[in-house]
Amino acid sequence: MNALHAYLLVSVALFCIGLYGLVQRRSLIAMLIALELMLAAASLNVVAITSLSSHHASVGQVVALILIGVAAAEAAIALSLFVAIQRKVHSIDVEDLSELKG
Amino acid sequence: MNYGGLVFGLSAALAILGALFAVGLRNIFHNILGFALALVGVAGLFLSLGSDFLAAVLILVYVGALAIAMVYAVMLSQPLDLAPQARSVPKVLGAAGLAVLVGVALWLVVGRAYFPPPDGILQATAQWAGWRLLSDYVLAFELISVLLVVAMIGAVMVARRARPPARRAGTGEAA
Repeated sequence: MNALHAYLLVSVALFCIGLYGLVQRRSLIAMLIALELMLAAASLNVVAITSLSSHHASVGQVVALILIGVAAAEAAIALSLFVAIQRKVHSIDVEDLSELKG
Repeated sequence: MNYGGLVFGLSAALAILGALFAVGLRNIFHNILGFALALVGVAGLFLSLGSDFLAAVLILVYVGALAIAMVYAVMLSQPLDLAPQARSVPKVLGAAGLAVLVGVALWLVVGRAYFPPPDGILQATAQWAGWRLLSDYVLAFELISVLLVVAMIGAVMVARRARPPARRAGTGEAA
C-alpha cells in the first residue's frame, strides 16, 4: 500500500462513519454533523489525489476551498432551519417531523 | 525518522477517533467536540500533504465557526434535560451494515485503482492556489462569495422570530 492509498483508506473510513451517523441518528443536528464528516472525507480525497498523483496540487486545494465555502453556507442555512423547526414543532427529532407523511 | 509518516499517523488516528466520538456518543455536546477533533485531524492530514493554507482555513471555518454555530443551535433548540431515548438494536445494526457495505464497495474500487506518480514540479503552495483562484477559477470564487451572502441573509430571515407588525406610532421616537 503506497502513501496515496493510506490517505484514501482514511477517507473511506471517515465517509462510512459519517454515513452510519446519518442513517442511525435521529437528532437533526447530529445528522448535520455526520453529513459534514462525509463532506470532509470527500475534500480529503480530492486533495490527496491531486497532490500525490498529479502536479496540479493547487487545483485540488481550490476545489477543497470551494467545498469548504459551500459546506459553511449549507450548515448556516441548516442550523437556522433547525431553530425555526424547533420553534414550530418543539422538537428536532426526525421521528416527530412526520407532517408530510401520507 | 520519517516525520511525514508520523504526522500522517497521528492525524489519521485523531480524525477517525473524533469521527467515532461525533457519531457514537449520546450527548450532543460530546458529538460536537468529537466533530471538532475529527476536523483537526483532517487539517493535520492536509498539513502532511503540504497544503498548509487549506489546513488553516479548515480549522478556522469548521472548528472555529461551525462548531460554535452548532453549539448555539443546540442551546436554542435541544431540550437537554430530557433523557435520551434508547437506541433500537435493529436500526443500529442496519446502519452499521450499510456503512460497512458501502465502505467495502468503495475500497474494492479505490484500493485496486492505479494512480500514476506525479510528473513535474508539485504546485502545492498557497501561492499557486491563490493564483489559480484568481485566474482559472475566478468565477467559482466570486460565486462562492455571492452564495455566502445569500446564505447569511437567508439564515437570518429563516431563524428570525416572526413578530406581529407592531404599531408604535409616537411612543418610540418621542422618548
